[in-house]
Amino acid sequence: MSIWTRTRISLTIAAAVVGALTLQTQGAGVVDKDDLKVIQLPILTDGPKSLDPVEGSTTYDNMACAQFYETLLTNKYTNPMEMEPLLLTEMPTSSDGGTTWHFKLKPDVYFHDNECFPGGKGRAITADDVFYSLKRLADAQHKLENWWLLDGTILGFNQYKDEQNAADRFDYDAPVEGFRKINDLEFEIVLEKPVYRFLYVLSMFQTSIVAREAVEFYGDDFSRNPVGTGPFILDTWVPKQSLTANRNPNYHPVFYPERSEWSKADKRNRLHRAGGKQVPFVDRVEFTMFAEPQPMWLEFSKGKLGYTQVPEEYFTEAFDLASRELKEDWLRKGVRPHSNMLLDFTFRGFNMEDELLGGYTPEKIALRRAISYAIDLEEINKTFYNGRRIVYDGPIPPGLDGHPENHRAEAAARGPNLSKAQELLALAGYPNGEGLPPIRFVSSQTTLNNAVGEMVKRQLAEVNIKFEPVYFDFSTMIENVNKKKAPMFGFAWASDYPDAENNLALFYGPNESPGSNHYNYKRPEYDALYEKILTMGPSDERTAIYEQMRDMVLEDCVYVGGMARERFYLINPWLRNCKPTERYYGWFKFLDVDEEARD
Amino acid sequence: MWTYIVRRTLYNIPVFLSIIFVVMLALRVNDPVSAQLGKNASQQQIELLTEEMGLNQPFLEQYGRFIWKLVRLDFDERSWDQGFPVGEMILNAIPPSMAVTIPTLTITASIAICVGLISAFNRGRVIDKTLMFVAVIGMSISVLVYIIIGQYWGAFLPSQKVDGWPFQISVDASAGETPWFFFNPANWVAFCMLPVMINVTVALGYDTRFYRAVMVEESQRDYIRTARAKGASIKRVMFVHMLKNAMIPIITRIMISLPFIITGSILIEVYFSIPGMGRTLINAINAKDFPVIQAFTALFSALFIASNILTDVLYALADPRVRLS
Repeated sequence: MSIWTRTRISLTIAAAVVGALTLQTQGAGVVDKDDLKVIQLPILTDGPKSLDPVEGSTTYDNMACAQFYETLLTNKYTNPMEMEPLLLTEMPTSSDGGTTWHFKLKPDVYFHDNECFPGGKGRAITADDVFYSLKRLADAQHKLENWWLLDGTILGFNQYKDEQNAADRFDYDAPVEGFRKINDLEFEIVLEKPVYRFLYVLSMFQTSIVAREAVEFYGDDFSRNPVGTGPFILDTWVPKQSLTANRNPNYHPVFYPERSEWSKADKRNRLHRAGGKQVPFVDRVEFTMFAEPQPMWLEFSKGKLGYTQVPEEYFTEAFDLASRELKEDWLRKGVRPHSNMLLDFTFRGFNMEDELLGGYTPEKIALRRAISYAIDLEEINKTFYNGRRIVYDGPIPPGLDGHPENHRAEAAARGPNLSKAQELLALAGYPNGEGLPPIRFVSSQTTLNNAVGEMVKRQLAEVNIKFEPVYFDFSTMIENVNKKKAPMFGFAWASDYPDAENNLALFYGPNESPGSNHYNYKRPEYDALYEKILTMGPSDERTAIYEQMRDMVLEDCVYVGGMARERFYLINPWLRNCKPTERYYGWFKFLDVDEEARD
Repeated sequence: MWTYIVRRTLYNIPVFLSIIFVVMLALRVNDPVSAQLGKNASQQQIELLTEEMGLNQPFLEQYGRFIWKLVRLDFDERSWDQGFPVGEMILNAIPPSMAVTIPTLTITASIAICVGLISAFNRGRVIDKTLMFVAVIGMSISVLVYIIIGQYWGAFLPSQKVDGWPFQISVDASAGETPWFFFNPANWVAFCMLPVMINVTVALGYDTRFYRAVMVEESQRDYIRTARAKGASIKRVMFVHMLKNAMIPIITRIMISLPFIITGSILIEVYFSIPGMGRTLINAINAKDFPVIQAFTALFSALFIASNILTDVLYALADPRVRLS
């Protein structure tokens, strides 16, 4: 064979391979996107771990699941602190003071068309779907990750959970005393006692309504094949990479909030324009996950992404540090800023069972308060967060009932007050810090945490307290805290729902580690008050109890803190109707695209 | 030769098993259950998950079960973090990594060998010093700096000035699920060319210096002087005589880099959102996703062992004096 012939054969093979690869790539899932309204949105981090609501727990699971699934209730887009019905015709009603709740489902709400249904056509949801979806929370096969939401709430549900998990097979058809079906669209749920947070729980994505056919059809793969009633249908999900979804053509009638519902400030941002129109407005949403902020920031600056959260390190690129006004070059581009106070509680907690720092005697309390008085949170805020965090007393974040006026409560040991710290150190038996062993502080390993740790070390050294920070990866840190090995530890809590009860649960005795009471705080008076507020709706009396509980925690000085973050966003001019919130994630259906502005 | 390959493979089995043993043991120093359950776990959840993960069983039993799965090439175990079968994750991650690493390796080796030859032949002259200076500068700067500058100056800024600028900042959702997306020439230029250029810039310095040293050594040998004395052109001496005789170190260098084709490059993949092996592995390590880390360990170990054996075989093919025994 001549060299020429061999060369020709090689070239032909190479061309065939390239051609085949090209065709293969182009042929896979061809969609003519030119005619579609598409929005690209970012997720800063690795994105969701699962698309099965009962296995979800993170913000990113929530963000993804909320596009495919829906809950009975949801937050209002105009004011996310309030709730409204989503799959219900009206808010649930109770005639016996909150023990029995009556629900009425919207008619003609259909599951996504999917091969799990006969003929591939999604059927209408019924009361049985609601019961089935809630029962999944009790199934140990799903690791009981979200059982805490309904634990001890619904009549007979705990018994059902124990019996079914002990049996050979979890029987979803077995009855639960508190689930009462009236007809396909009406049902009642009876609680063991009135639990006010129950309605919040029904707005949380973990209680989304799923189709039993889909769970049984997909088995282990259900977590990547969501079949719900949501505004979008999953197209592709590449974990830690991207998630795309197309508009659900059979989405039940849901309308953009009426013009009258929007505040003046929102109207200035022209958020009211689409009032009363049926949603969703876009044909497709494409989420890209960014492990690092730089590519996300550049993609937004390029105009590709609809909006972006402003990463800490890019704050001064977007805003003037002193005035917090958006910089001129962004304003010229038509970019709009938005910010939200997060329901955040950032703290440095004490393990109340620790030999040195724990305990309830006056000496032990004095030691913890001395530490608290010696730490200057405002200095940390100014140095590391450009003063953008709110330092506040008590575990109740700003915006919720029970949060102290001007963020200050008298019971708090708010630093810096070095003379008070020294006085209390002497009372604790360590005059001028003498004889006090070093304090071991466990936190997660990040550059910022290391730097903050060094500042706290310096602040405590001023009253001769030796501070020994130890940094682990997040899971090792949690493991230390769960096993009560960390004398002092630091992380943050984001409220699951906008009620202080959620934060006050962090100090409820039975929730001790590995539960959410990582401080292992146990005070019977506090626990009794907590059990009382569980049954109470919003009232002055309840707020007074919240304040009483807040002050108990502050007097015992269970932690040093707290701080709340403000989240800043930038929105490109072509993205309409955008009012980002982290309280819920069902709002992507309200977004629209101004194609002309984008071009 | 086949006898040699079989014998070397058998010799390496204990090495392979030991690597997996050590990695599995080291992984179990930490508790992955807390990583999976987060801040709000109950004792019952912890026990349930520990049992589901099989971590309540004796270590040797866990080790034995994993090895048995390897023997059967069974990679169906699901990732604890993502819920996807590990085999599927590996198969989906290999092509994107290869889209970056194969061109990187090919371009780097080709350029570095040529530059090494030129430098060696011009040893001590301005051209040699300039090339080595550039090479040292190239390798002295962190890859992270190249990435940050590359994304800004190579993708973002030109896209603001030039319509249709081909390089993208990072892979977006349009890549979809198909792992072969990056093998489409247009997609490759958009998403892989810039990462390849950065990888080449970083790797070039190391490779050039290495090849130059090899070539310098070769250029001082008698056969080079003889070839020159007999009137062979510089080009012929360089690319025929010298290159052929320098094949052993070149093969070694290239073969050492071969597993990198599969394993990818972590930082490049993270910053450019390339869903390759490097990114998958670092995610698994962060999430303490033992099934994925163990499978990757087995794969990487096998690759390194295979490339070592292959290197020996290639030595014998390149140099008749080398005998496989």
